[in-house]
Order: sequence, then C-alpha cells, then structure tokens
Amino acid sequence: MSTTASRTSADPAVLRARRSEDVVVGDEIVRHRLATRVIHWTVALFFFVALFSGLPIWTPVFGWMAHLFGGLHVCRWLHPWAGVLFFVSALVMFVHWLGEMRLQPADREWLRPRKIVAYMKHESDDSQVGKYNGGQKLFFFAAGLGALGLLLSGIVMWFPLAFPRIVRELAILTHDVTFILFVVAIVFHVYLGTAAEPGTFPSMIRGTVSKPWARLHHPRWYREVLGGESRRP
Amino acid sequence: MAAHNLEIRRSSASLWGEKTGLRHLPVVTKFIDTTTCIGCKACEVACQEWNDLGPVPTRQTGSYQTLPELDPEFWNLIRFNEQEFDGGVVWLMRKDQCMHCEDPGCLAACPAPGAIVQYENGIVDVNPEACIGCGFCATGCPFDVPKFHAKTGKMAKCTLCVDRVETGLEPACIKACPTGCLQFGTKDDMVARGRTRVEQLKANGFANAVLYDPPGVGGTGVVTVLGHGDHLEWYGLPRDPHVPLGVRLWKSVLRPLGVVAVFGAVLGAIGHFMYQGPKEPRETGRAPAGDDPTPPAP
Repeated sequence: MSTTASRTSADPAVLRARRSEDVVVGDEIVRHRLATRVIHWTVALFFFVALFSGLPIWTPVFGWMAHLFGGLHVCRWLHPWAGVLFFVSALVMFVHWLGEMRLQPADREWLRPRKIVAYMKHESDDSQVGKYNGGQKLFFFAAGLGALGLLLSGIVMWFPLAFPRIVRELAILTHDVTFILFVVAIVFHVYLGTAAEPGTFPSMIRGTVSKPWARLHHPRWYREVLGGESRRP
Repeated sequence: MAAHNLEIRRSSASLWGEKTGLRHLPVVTKFIDTTTCIGCKACEVACQEWNDLGPVPTRQTGSYQTLPELDPEFWNLIRFNEQEFDGGVVWLMRKDQCMHCEDPGCLAACPAPGAIVQYENGIVDVNPEACIGCGFCATGCPFDVPKFHAKTGKMAKCTLCVDRVETGLEPACIKACPTGCLQFGTKDDMVARGRTRVEQLKANGFANAVLYDPPGVGGTGVVTVLGHGDHLEWYGLPRDPHVPLGVRLWKSVLRPLGVVAVFGAVLGAIGHFMYQGPKEPRETGRAPAGDDPTPPAP
C-alpha cells in the first residue's frame, strides 16, 4: 500500500478492515470487519425503530415518540414488522458471533458479582480477558434469548384475538418484563460502548482500535493478535 | 361514537384525564329483567337500525339465537339458553351487550389515548378516530364484548346509545321493548327497581333470584334480574368478573416500575460517568495514517 503524490489512497486500516479482523495495521488492530459492523448496525436500526414505535404503545409517558413515525396508528402497524426484522437480523448476528462468544472458564470467573463491581470501579484484573469479556458474552446470550421472547410474545400481541385469554395475558407480561430488562441492558451497552470507554465506538464504525485500547480492555486478545499466544488457552 | 357534549370522566392511556370537574351527571343504567323477556328481538332490530349497522349473516346453530357471539356489527344479542330444571326445561333469554362497567377493563388495557372513554354519566364508549385496532380491550374485558371489525380495523361495541342519551332520549333497545323488561334511568332508580323485582320473584317461587350488578368491576351500567341466580353460567355470565390480573399487573405494576427502571438506567450511567470517569489507556492516540504503515501478514 504505497502512497503516491498523484492520487489519494484509501486508509490502509479501513481497507484491511473490510475483510479481515484480529490483524494489526500500523498502530491499529482491526477488531470488527465490515460484515460484523453492518450486521450490528442493522440489528441496532431495527431495534430502535421497534423501541421507539413500541414505547408510545406502552405508556403515554412516551406518547410523543409516536409523532416520529406519523402517529400511534402507524406505530401499531410498524412496531410488529420492525420487531420481526429485529429478530431476523438478531438471529443472523447470533449465528455470526456465536463462535467467538462461547463462555470460557475465565469468563465465568469474570461474571462473579465482586469482579463486576471491580470492573465498574476500573480496578479489575483483566489480564485473561480475550476478544470479548464475560459481560459482553452474557449480554450476547441475554439479547438472543430476549429477542426470542419478544418475538414469541409479540406475535401473540400482534394477533391477540387468535389466542386464548390466558396466553394473551402471559404474552403481555412476558413482552413487558423482557423489553424493560432489554432496554436497561441496552442503556449500559451504549454507555460502555461510547462515553465510558473511549476508543470503543470507532471499533464499530471504522472497525479498528488502538493498540493501547486493546492492551487495556482485552489484554489476552492483544497478546493473541500480536502473535504471542494461541486463541484458546 | 364519542359524544363531545358529554363530560369525560376517564380516558384511556391519558396522563391527566379530561375532566373539567364542573359538570355533574347522574350515572345512567339499563335495567334488564330476564324473567319478563319474551325473546322477540325487537331490541336487536332497534339497535341495528339506530346505529346504522349492516345486516349480519345469521347462522343456524339449532337455536333461536341470531348469532353465536356479539359481532362488530351486532352489538345487542339475545342469548337463548335452554336448561333442564326441576324435571322440565327452562328457556332463559338474556340480553348480551356491553356492561358499561364502573371500572372498565377495556379502558384499563387500551394503549391509545382517548380511544376508550368513560363519560361522567358512566357510559363507556369507543372513539374510532383514536382506536388503533390493537385488540387489547378485548383482553381487558371480562365479558368478552369488544369485537374487532376487520374491514375498518377498529373495535366496536354498544355505546349505550350515547348519542340518544345525551339529548335526553332512552337507548334504542329500551324504546323498542314491548314487555317493559328493558328500562332505563339513573343507577339508583334501576337498582331499586331491580331489588323490588327480585323480592317479587322470591315470593313467587324463585328463591335464588338475584340482581346481577357485579362488584368486582365496581358494578355495571347494566343491571340484570336473574331468576336462577345460583346458576349464572346458565345465562353465560361470569360469577365474579374483574379486570384481568394480567392487565392490572401490566398497567399498574410493570409499567410504573419499567418507566423508573429505564430512567434509572440512564441516570445510573450518567452518575457512573460523573463519579468514575472514562476508562482509557494512559498513552492515547495513534500514528497519523499514511505514515508508511507496513501491515504484518495475517
């Protein structure tokens, strides 16, 4: 990748990040290749369309959100379809990421309450954290399970008159509990991916992270990518 | 129907309600005496005519009953029930329609602001302009009354002829009844009339006669005299109707908890950031791009 004065050349890290990940390019490491990022943002798009069209149906506190889509009648039509697209894209994402998200013994250790508190206090020992930490893997599986629960209960709420009363009531309660937990989890997901840990957000946009970022947040992955260690301990 | 001349007492999915608190109306109630109903169906015809409801194809089910269930275009149905009783058969006719509950489950379940309203006079009404046709009201109703109209995408049910009542007329079904088994007036008057009739029945061999005005939904805007009050199922009436537990949990427990949880999560994240600050490497920044980066082999 040589630069000549006659033409502008594309950023080599961005070019590399189209197809490969877990590779070093200069001072950067490709963390998410283009396919991963496109899948992630597709899921996010349908999630937020479903969220913002569902919240005004849930409570008049968020009734104003209905105006984003042209009123509550539109939301009643849009929300189920956005939900179906969310589920389908989430399923693709689940399959795409499943191989990297299997819980290792170190992840189970990471998920102990004391460790999570230490993580939030920036006092945790993350030396054994690979490409994804225990919390990210837990969020991955919780989101997959949540998407399934939202789909199944959502279908009942979409066509309520086709189901017996007890199923309808259980579906409403399932949908409510699941999406409340989901939204709380998403708030922290967005917070951790942006303000809380600078350098993380570009990994989902540009695809790359800096070496110091990798060494701080995912030391074992850093060592693996630089060639020191095998992927699976 | 949405009668704009009537003060609204309660409105679905509304944070503040619509009451001015200035105008007061007596609660109106329909009185049904099943013991003097002759099953002539004049009330059914009057309902269809007044409300401009189309003809609904009937089905022969071995009964005189016009339709098996209420329909989005058939809001007033006489249910014909035959029961074996005391060595013979009793033929019980009960007028089925919206009960206009004091505590309406449909209104509690409805997510569309103003789509279901309860007027100051107790009438519970669907406002088609605001109705989004989600069908949740059917889940909230313990009497299975609101029906979905596939053509319009709206829910429909008896309005207690609110457009007649607000101008001082009685509902169309009451007007048409030839035996006087249907009457209309204030709740107090109709309950008093019902109690008198129940005493008469008890004195004439109907020891279990009752006035059906279920307290589980705060009483209803339709009070029904039943000769066999010990067998409510003969009339297709629930013994202790109330707003379903699922709907109550959803609207009164999960919803406020959820709103607190969502805002709590946002505030928690902001608080964590202010207290703890960002987690970043000591040495930051990357070399300027294009500065002869030599990528290693993958």
